[in-house]
Amino acid sequence: MSYFNIDSVKERTFDAIVVGSGISGGWAAKELTGKGLRTLVLERGRDVKHITDYPTTMMQPWEFQHLGQLTRELKEANPIASRCYAFREDATHFFVKDAEHPYVQEKPFDWIRGYQVGGKSLMWARGTQRWSDYDFDGPARDGFAVDWPIRYADIAPWYSYVEKFAGISGNKDGLAQLPDGEFLPPHEQSCVEKHFTDQMAKHYNGTRPIIIGRCAHLTKPQPIHYQQGRAQCQNRSLCQRGCPYGGYFSSNSSTLPWAAKTGKMTLRPDSVVHSIIFDEKKNKATGVRVIDAHTKQMTEYYARIIFVNAACLNSNLILLNSTSNRFPNGLGNDNGLLGKYVAFHNFRTTISAEHEGFQDTKTEGIRPNSSYIPRFRNVFKQETDFLRGYAAGFGSSRMTNIDTSGMGEGLKSSLMQPKYGNWRVGSHMMGETIPKESNFVALDPNQTDQWGVPLLRISVAYDDNDEKMIRDFHEQMTEMLTVSGFTNIQTHDVPDKAPGLDIHEMGGVRMGKDPKTSLLNKWNQLHTCKNVFVTDGACMTSTSTQNPSLTFMAITARAADHAVKEMRKGLL
Amino acid sequence: MSLPAWASGWTPDSLGSVAIVSVDDEALLGEIVETFIPETTTPGAKSLKVHQFALRMIRDCYAPAAQTTLQQGLALVDTTAQQAYTKPFVDCDSTQRLAVLTQLAAATDPAGKAFVDMTKRLTIQGYLNSEYYLVNVEKFNMAPGFYHGCVPVQKTVENASR
Repeated sequence: MSYFNIDSVKERTFDAIVVGSGISGGWAAKELTGKGLRTLVLERGRDVKHITDYPTTMMQPWEFQHLGQLTRELKEANPIASRCYAFREDATHFFVKDAEHPYVQEKPFDWIRGYQVGGKSLMWARGTQRWSDYDFDGPARDGFAVDWPIRYADIAPWYSYVEKFAGISGNKDGLAQLPDGEFLPPHEQSCVEKHFTDQMAKHYNGTRPIIIGRCAHLTKPQPIHYQQGRAQCQNRSLCQRGCPYGGYFSSNSSTLPWAAKTGKMTLRPDSVVHSIIFDEKKNKATGVRVIDAHTKQMTEYYARIIFVNAACLNSNLILLNSTSNRFPNGLGNDNGLLGKYVAFHNFRTTISAEHEGFQDTKTEGIRPNSSYIPRFRNVFKQETDFLRGYAAGFGSSRMTNIDTSGMGEGLKSSLMQPKYGNWRVGSHMMGETIPKESNFVALDPNQTDQWGVPLLRISVAYDDNDEKMIRDFHEQMTEMLTVSGFTNIQTHDVPDKAPGLDIHEMGGVRMGKDPKTSLLNKWNQLHTCKNVFVTDGACMTSTSTQNPSLTFMAITARAADHAVKEMRKGLL
Repeated sequence: MSLPAWASGWTPDSLGSVAIVSVDDEALLGEIVETFIPETTTPGAKSLKVHQFALRMIRDCYAPAAQTTLQQGLALVDTTAQQAYTKPFVDCDSTQRLAVLTQLAAATDPAGKAFVDMTKRLTIQGYLNSEYYLVNVEKFNMAPGFYHGCVPVQKTVENASR
């Protein structure tokens, strides 16, 4: 048995271990290898190589047997995954199937996962809006959760750093509540979106700006992007299949190949991390226990620092499962708060409308993006009977009307000459939810998965604040659309749409100033086990309204920089 | 160097046939979809194999009851044609075929209407999403792509989002 063989231990020893290869793990891998650390990147799922492992990416729409629809069999076998908008015929292979990875829903929660190299960075929706101090100040100002240990000034240079590399398109809008970044050229707003923007400026005195969304698309690649092997976004809007051009940012197209190029990265797919090893004599973590996804054999890997980027709820799970005499309730969990204060974005409701004007105009081509309504509620001061607020996507297109009555040559003639209908707009709410102790994840005391890892119990639900916010979204958006001349305004709320489908779950291992009330310090180190860093969604103290991935990237790069500085000082 | 997975492995024909009905019934459905959308100066639904698409959707995506609707409907089409013209549907001319399907769509027998509604819906869906239609009518082009937010409208729809 080679387990005790010195060479074997040496082969399993690295400078750093990164758990997870998704959007934040990819960044940890790039930063740590870039600073010269021999880094082991562990991914529980299969390998997905850029371009070669995107089997559907070049398929034409008519080549899908069911034109994108799911088969009955797949739908019935995957009620959870099927509720995700992107779980369609062209991308089902990138989503976890319900039966493969069960979990316990104490309350309904649709947990959408991507277990493969690149994780959900392959199928993400690519919105990349910065936070501002109106977000970081939120908990302290409004008296919930705990105060963030960082402010915008701490993260701003790291936003710039990751934006330049990832490639973010956007317009410099000069908004205090949504700071500008290092932007590639923006996508264009449609006539009707511009109209809405203008009407908002007129009716709300500049307090309700509508902008083009900022998103991770190479609208004009720079040398740094060509060096990654990426090229101009082709506006196919087929991103969930994986992009052969590297037109949008993913770990697979960007950070992982960059890390591989250093020669310092060892990427190990099919490696399920069971737990982190804590050495009580050294009072720090020394490595991780890994179960081979196929052989189920456990192997230990060692490193001086460990980055936990398993995706929010799985990072919680790994820490909860990392028990020792020192930490019987999970690594770093002296205060019992690990797994608690999980929050998400409220995506339960949408609104749609039509505009009867602009009949002589239309859009042409495809835009992998939409307009964006930054939060306007309770931004500068508290003004409603609920806390915080919501951002919203805002898209538009000219409807086509096809008369499908009759049959024969008359029907065919109608089909061959579709007519333009009214402009149609739609908007979906992205509401900030308030982290609460009662929204939590925990290990199931009895059930384990096929790798012997306890199942995760999820107990997360909406609250009264969320309900009030939904009503306000309906009222305010109806008013905004009405004053802008829209008609046929319809709100859609699906009260039984469970949390989770936003795929913006955050928290459970929150950052904070005080070890008594938080798990991580301002550098994302566990307060009580400093060589373990958590820099994915799990670290988030509050959720804000903005799409969170850009902030995970910036936080990760910042923490990696700190980690290496501390190592060089001999402190880690 | 290995070829990417999408560089081989499929052709439109490799999608294969759909064996939930007999060869005769498949041919009958071909004539039915062709009646909904006939060949003129442009292709009709049959030559675009829309009937095979319809069968595939009924088999794979629709509730199991849809197969019963299909079987009953195909039988009804032929008995209706026999009653009206004393010959099978496939031997009827295009006017007679239209009359048979129109009669079924308006019939009091719910099976006939359900069948016509379902197959017509699938015929339209299949036709509007066929390579022929997307490329020639919608001018669909996967790449290189572009987006213009505000352009003058033409008479018919082109470059619609997909």
